[in-house]
Amino acid sequence: MAEAFVFTGPFRLPRGEALDVAELSVGRGERLVIFGPNGAGKTTLLRHLAGTLTGAPVDPGIAYLPQRAHAFKGSARRNLLLGLAKDRHGAAEHLAAELRVSGLLERAAVSLSGGERQRVALARALAGTEPLVLLDEPLAAIDLRDRDTVAAAIVRALEGRSGVIVTHDEATAAAVGDRIAVIVDGSIRQVGPVADVFSLPADEEVAAVVGLRNVLEGDVVAAGDGLVAVACGSVEVWALGELDPGDPARVLFGGETVTVSPPAPMTSSARNRWTGRVLTVRRVGRLVEVIVDVGVPVAAVITPGSFEALGLGEGSEVAVSFKATAARAVAVGIHH
Amino acid sequence: MEFLWDVIRDAVAALGDFGPELREVLWLTIVVSGLATVIGVVTGVPVGLGLGLGRFRGRKVALTIVNAGMGIPPVLAGLVLLVVLWDDGPLGGLDALFTPGAMVAAQALLAFPIAAGVTAAAVANLGFDAREHIAALGLSRTGTAAVSAREVWPGIVGATAAAFGRVVSEVGAVLIVGGNIRGETRVLTTAIVEEARQARFGAAVGLGVLLLVLALVVSTVLTATQLRRADG
Repeated sequence: MAEAFVFTGPFRLPRGEALDVAELSVGRGERLVIFGPNGAGKTTLLRHLAGTLTGAPVDPGIAYLPQRAHAFKGSARRNLLLGLAKDRHGAAEHLAAELRVSGLLERAAVSLSGGERQRVALARALAGTEPLVLLDEPLAAIDLRDRDTVAAAIVRALEGRSGVIVTHDEATAAAVGDRIAVIVDGSIRQVGPVADVFSLPADEEVAAVVGLRNVLEGDVVAAGDGLVAVACGSVEVWALGELDPGDPARVLFGGETVTVSPPAPMTSSARNRWTGRVLTVRRVGRLVEVIVDVGVPVAAVITPGSFEALGLGEGSEVAVSFKATAARAVAVGIHH
Repeated sequence: MEFLWDVIRDAVAALGDFGPELREVLWLTIVVSGLATVIGVVTGVPVGLGLGLGRFRGRKVALTIVNAGMGIPPVLAGLVLLVVLWDDGPLGGLDALFTPGAMVAAQALLAFPIAAGVTAAAVANLGFDAREHIAALGLSRTGTAAVSAREVWPGIVGATAAAFGRVVSEVGAVLIVGGNIRGETRVLTTAIVEEARQARFGAAVGLGVLLLVLALVVSTVLTATQLRRADG
């Protein structure tokens, strides 16, 4: 993909320290998600891209939606059209309809709820023709049940344009991102396709940030061909890793990569397969997280459909499996 | 006690009379202070917006000067203008001394830093987030100033009220450059000084009440504007 926008650091925090980000590039037509916990430096990084940290006006080639939509004085319609060229007013009205705020446009903007302001501001930010669009937490104030619609509208509006979207929400990242850059404590720890980063985090901090539920500890008992076996409690877990036997290690793998099946024996290429009893079940967003005790607790994230089909409940006996290539073993104390 | 009653009775009598001379003084006060306020606000608010929004070298110095200017003694402003407009002064050729025009200029000089300083403070009060949202609109410098002005509208109305309050109540500047000439350059404040000096306390108090009413009327109008636009 052609790199349409390349930003080079140093990107500094307002208090003077530099973010540990040397360069950030976004391809033409690509949507890059900046993902990380609160205080990681996501917003600061986006402000650097927008150029607003210095108090300068934003470059005409960039559309920028800062976090927490602001209600400018006047009607919601004034807010929607503020700063837009006349020939983009139609597009803004269309987006307002898509984001379901058309009926609110005659109201005073200050009387709108946070989510409604956010939709109006988002419609304005997306209505232009700037080749690069920067969005800071565009879905944060939007009700959970409406996020899919709004995310879809963002993806449509960004077609053919480049986007950088800051979020700390996995679902938002997965919904709008092509690539994801995970930022922790001011440094970008991993950049890659969203699915790759979520299912194969570079280290345990990234794993913790992207919401992966499985981080097992143990010592390496076998190694070779880029794979290692780590003895975690009573089970041996196979994972990708360049470690030596005897090394203390942590094995990281995504809950989404774990398959849950009836305990009956079945053939599978998965190196990791154990049976155990379901400890807990809880909903995580639109999915279900099942924690199974196989000697150590293993979390699997499955669809409500599979959950129903398997007839699972606490105490059910099940088999869990995942491929060694879906897990990564890292040496304890070393961050890549 | 009887003295105070006399003063009050005379004040009421003076107001009740409300002759052509008093009307002329009131009218000149409104015109001079009103025009000075308009000039001060029209020039001062954009400067205040620039000082509040801009990021340029010398901004701090300029802000300091403007803030100091808010406290400049009217007598001093009048004195400076007197020297400038004096026959042999740089603008002596204008022949403007001891005319209402000179009085407007003197009061505009007082209104300007108030309008600029209060506006700059209101803009500074916007905070980083609001400024960032304004910057994100991608507007021209003028557009940015216009949107910011609307955001701090109550502050700008406050600046206007403060400027008018300052000029309508001052006596030093108009006295020096206007000369308090009866029928020509006499305004409410200089008239009060004149009456007091002549020990016509009742008349002086009557003029004072008139000045208060004028300030109250203007303040009522401005406050209504301030509140009406504060939310919407």
